[in-house]
Amino acid sequence: MARKEFYHTLRDIRSLYLAFAIPLLLVLLFGYALSLDVKGIPSAVIDHDQTPISRDFLRHLAANPYFHIIFRPSTTKEAIKLLDYGKVTMVIIIPPAWAEKLKANRTSPLQILLDGSDPNYASLSRAYITTFIEDFRQVKEKPVLLLDSRIRVWFNEELESRLFIVPGIIAVIIMIVGAILTSLVIAREYENVTMDTIKVLPLSAGEFLVGKALPYFFIAVTDVIIAMLLGEILLNVTMKGNFWILMMATVLYIGIALSLGLFISIVTKSQLVANHTAVLTTYLPSLLLSNFVFPVNNMPWILKFLSSLIPATYYLRVLMGIYLKNVGVSYLIGDFLILSFMLLGLMTTNYLLLRREGM
Amino acid sequence: MRPAAIFELIHKEFIQLFRDKKNRPLLVIVPLLQLLIFGYVVNYDVKNVRIALCDQAKTKESRAVVDAFLGSKIFFVTYQGENCTRADELVITGKADLAFHIGPNFSEMILKGQSAPLQVIVDGTMSNMASLRIATVWSIIASTNRKLLKEFYGTEQSSIPIEGRLRTWYNPNLESQYFFVPGIVAFVIMLLSLLLTSMAIIKERETGTLEQLLVTPLTPSELIIGKTVPYALIALLQMVGVTAFAVYWFELPLMGSLTILFLAVLIFLLSTLALGLFISTISATRQQAMMSTFFFILPFFMLSGFVFPIANMPFAVRLLTYLNPLRYMLTVIRGIFLKGVGLDALWGELTAMVVIGIALFTAAVKRFRKRLD
Repeated sequence: MARKEFYHTLRDIRSLYLAFAIPLLLVLLFGYALSLDVKGIPSAVIDHDQTPISRDFLRHLAANPYFHIIFRPSTTKEAIKLLDYGKVTMVIIIPPAWAEKLKANRTSPLQILLDGSDPNYASLSRAYITTFIEDFRQVKEKPVLLLDSRIRVWFNEELESRLFIVPGIIAVIIMIVGAILTSLVIAREYENVTMDTIKVLPLSAGEFLVGKALPYFFIAVTDVIIAMLLGEILLNVTMKGNFWILMMATVLYIGIALSLGLFISIVTKSQLVANHTAVLTTYLPSLLLSNFVFPVNNMPWILKFLSSLIPATYYLRVLMGIYLKNVGVSYLIGDFLILSFMLLGLMTTNYLLLRREGM
Repeated sequence: MRPAAIFELIHKEFIQLFRDKKNRPLLVIVPLLQLLIFGYVVNYDVKNVRIALCDQAKTKESRAVVDAFLGSKIFFVTYQGENCTRADELVITGKADLAFHIGPNFSEMILKGQSAPLQVIVDGTMSNMASLRIATVWSIIASTNRKLLKEFYGTEQSSIPIEGRLRTWYNPNLESQYFFVPGIVAFVIMLLSLLLTSMAIIKERETGTLEQLLVTPLTPSELIIGKTVPYALIALLQMVGVTAFAVYWFELPLMGSLTILFLAVLIFLLSTLALGLFISTISATRQQAMMSTFFFILPFFMLSGFVFPIANMPFAVRLLTYLNPLRYMLTVIRGIFLKGVGLDALWGELTAMVVIGIALFTAAVKRFRKRLD
């Protein structure tokens, strides 16, 4: 049974592409190209002051990796045009007689214009430029501090989005490979009317399900290992915690993905509908509502509730726990329990459904 | 080319499209659902930040610091106590985003004029959110510091008043929806026009009616026009619907001209319909077409600047994005919605879309004809 399914998959080049190329593509894309961090903000500066201190300010700015000065227009009008055309996302204007006023202890604020269209980018840009100005001030005046803020970042000390996106993508890959591919397998038998032949074979419902799922299980495990290795070797995303704990959760989660796919396949009985349903109910929710790159905490309550129903949420917690936080089993026991219950529930449902079908 | 024949084909296409009940949700519900979901899912605002507070001082000064945070309405306290390990644990289990440690002699040090440590532990897992929270924490601490200094010395302490006045344009409140909703409008148009075109052609092939169409006096170009124009019209209608929804439901400002938006969508459709045609030539069944669409959409989506800023991508990948019509469409639609810019700012993007569209369309038509022969 399992062998037959393996041959089926191998024969269909497109499914193979889905099984191996998409995971590779996703990991590489997310690891190399897609980042939510902000570096080298394209900026334009206008120096109306032209004094040693204003030049010093701009020198500091140019040396800072967060900013990339592309243009030095001479008028504000030109600078606004650059912002309108999207050539820069930040304009810094040093007002005339800036140094003079500073010496006389009168305020003469720097003007900073930000392109706010992308709020994530703009907020980060705003955060960096405010920090930069405050730093520059502290370098110049060394003020007294009554509050000594010691901010420490845990788990992702360098604050690189790659470090949480690459592990997170594993959860999405499993859903694509597991649920979307398997959603087709039983529906295919129904469509080709081979289901009736299978029903008369001396094959129990349990054996049938395992046989259908097993090849995809191996494909999914292979994909996960490829993703982990790529992350480790090429992208420098190292696992801080215990590999085997993660593998245990991964096996549970793959089981859930496969069962979901088979469930959809049994219920819909049509490949086209099954494919639609699988994309809508497994892949999209695990991408959007699992806290992968979109913070669930900011969503309205109904989406928060939906998020608590999908397996990806719990698997992602384990992924983050092992990859970034290095926590032990005791911290993850709740997530493991929920995943196990989901798996058991789905497998039983599938078994009962097939029995009712007369298997 | 005979307009009458083409018109007949378009007419037939519309009848088929609306007769099939399965198509109805695809035409109306899917775009609206996407708009709603993306409108609410993608939200990077700094709000509802959970603080685990370990205050071992419990004095007027320590409360002043905490109140400065709570006053911003961005932060709220989920745990309050003297047990700092417990507070840290909440960060580890993900039940708090920040942990504050205020030591027992916090006030004594401040009253002596020394700097008192305030330790903040930040969950860095989601790095972009963490950076934003750090910046907010940092600026609140800086302003509290200034306030405390003023109380302590009775005067402003700063000797060099270097400061920046920040103004954010186009989206002054930095609302995530303002950025993402116009993007979804473009994305929905792309997805549906691409999918519907390829499906329509493959359906004819699957049922064998494509051969029948070929023996009719219709020329291949008439066939192609008849197969694409209906979906272009539907895409335009959807654009109107989705835009209206964006403006009325999400209260998105539409600063620029609707005419330019219409023009841009028309140009954009050239590329997406061409891709639909192309997919129909490489797929034999609707199943395969669905999958191929999925493969095409994914890189288009990722490399368009929809969620992930293009400026962050490595050089080679950034070059690739120049081939992506969705990239230009996003710039155009965001420019029109948020910035209110006109043709003088957008002509570059529009030209690029025209060039890509014509290139793709010619290639697709060539391939399509070859498949027919």
